[in-house]
Amino acid sequence: MVVIVLLAAALALPYYAGPFWMGLATQIYIFGLLALSVDLLLGNTGLFSLCHASFFAVAAYTTAILQVRYGVPTALAAPAGVCAGTLLAVVFGISVRTRGVYFILITIALGFIVWGVAYRWSSFTGGDNGVTNVPFPSIGPLAIATHFQYYYLVLAIVILCAIGYRVLVRSPFGLGLRGIKASETRMRSLGYRTGLHLYVAFVLSGALASLAGVLYVYYNRFVNPVTGSFQISVEAALMAIVGGTGTIVGPFIGSGILLGLRNWGSSFFELHAAVMGAVFIATVLWAPDGLVGLARRLRARLRATGKDPE
Amino acid sequence: MTSAILQAINGISFAALLFLLASGFTLSFGLMRVVNMAHGAYYLLGGYVGLTLAQRTGSFTLAIIGGGAAVVAFGYLVDRLLIRRTGENHLAQVLLTVGVAFVVGDVALAIWGGDNLKIPVPPFLRGAVELPGGMYYPKYRFVLIFFGALVAAVLWLLYRKTQIGAVVRAGVDDREQVSATGINIDRLFVITSGLASFLAGIAGVVGGAFLTLYPGAEWEILVYALVVVIVGGLGSLEGAMIGALIVGLLDAYGRWLLPEFSYFVLFGPIALLMLFRPRGLFGTEH
Repeated sequence: MVVIVLLAAALALPYYAGPFWMGLATQIYIFGLLALSVDLLLGNTGLFSLCHASFFAVAAYTTAILQVRYGVPTALAAPAGVCAGTLLAVVFGISVRTRGVYFILITIALGFIVWGVAYRWSSFTGGDNGVTNVPFPSIGPLAIATHFQYYYLVLAIVILCAIGYRVLVRSPFGLGLRGIKASETRMRSLGYRTGLHLYVAFVLSGALASLAGVLYVYYNRFVNPVTGSFQISVEAALMAIVGGTGTIVGPFIGSGILLGLRNWGSSFFELHAAVMGAVFIATVLWAPDGLVGLARRLRARLRATGKDPE
Repeated sequence: MTSAILQAINGISFAALLFLLASGFTLSFGLMRVVNMAHGAYYLLGGYVGLTLAQRTGSFTLAIIGGGAAVVAFGYLVDRLLIRRTGENHLAQVLLTVGVAFVVGDVALAIWGGDNLKIPVPPFLRGAVELPGGMYYPKYRFVLIFFGALVAAVLWLLYRKTQIGAVVRAGVDDREQVSATGINIDRLFVITSGLASFLAGIAGVVGGAFLTLYPGAEWEILVYALVVVIVGGLGSLEGAMIGALIVGLLDAYGRWLLPEFSYFVLFGPIALLMLFRPRGLFGTEH
């Protein structure tokens, strides 16, 4: 019921809200997708990755460079971007050989390497300036010409991804991942190849982040090293946690809150990075299960006192 | 040939700086199981406080002590008021301390601005020394190698040969057991985390005198320290020494031979270690 209301609101949004809100909503969907890819690992396997901006950025850079510098059409450039990001995930996937703190630290280090390459290899990536003038996507006669049309394209892709994600986490594979999160030794003694399970999950998660990266570059129309920075990786993880891990709407709610706060905050405060930092601290201390978790707790309490509104 | 030797000295002096930062990080994890991502921010804070002190008083020694002391005070507050509340949840610690680092970085930007600032070095450390074979090398970075080696030696002696070191080592292995023998483990935690903060603070002053201080420096240096800790093994002091040397040398040669891919050179040791020794050279099961 809630999902249908939200979908209707999202579908009608461009008709009742101005271009600013439509742009913000597009960004929320794109970063929500990135947060969802982080949560595929965090919420289902318990692995906390801090390098997802890398896949996001590599996909964005690949698509942008192919499209702008070599004039490759969208039909090839966009899939190439997703493939490049996924390929990076195939390489970075070796980090699933580690667990816990080591996994966190290694993904941070790996993420910085990608940022460093984007920043220093200026002859290819454009250095600090990045790649600019990325056109709107167009496949044959189907061309996107306005932000209005792009909004619906992003929304459609996000909905498809959410459905695919739901099928995945409810499949035997997804249940296997949850089993590993609960007790890896037990799953291993049941005969599961847990390392391979986690590796596949890592690559799938990287592919989803890459897709978000391609959507981002066509929205933003340029890409620079900030796209692959540690800050983006952390924010994506925070979005998933603020919204509520292990759910599908959670990362999108978190994305809405963080992007809303940043857009609203930066017009009032000088110190918006410090405000972000404060949100991190507050989340960890007071809402470790995110808003979805808070809502669940609240509902459970209401039910216990017999005043459930439903 | 000459450049190869000079790059080696560059690498070793950078390693000395990295050791100052990584040793504190690794000891906090070893004893308290705390992953403090604000360590880079401690470095930057120490450096900025040292810079202000050096400009006001003109004394480099005072800058080092003041920078270290300021970070000890700040680190104590963060530890008591925030990190303490996360228990042993590493994910929460990482997010929390990243948040602290964001706040510190942003406030530092507001106070000290966005320019590259360099801490003035006293006159007797300026200039170059002549090495055998007609090579010249900056005196400051040369002294830094000796400083790093001195700190490493003191830490090692403290850790391996004194009673308090023995208690810390016992705490790394089994905290409950140590506490059950009547040792005040809480006081030990305060001392260790104070030492870690102090080392990060002086690293900021020492490093700020040749790498300069700027917004974002906290993350750059933190990543190097993380790679050191990953290579050496979390919680191991010896690992931090060897790891710092490996990373320092690889970075120097990487910058020299493959300037555009110098970050990429760091990936080599991480990838190899993950394939053969996921816990680092000296790491133990946690």
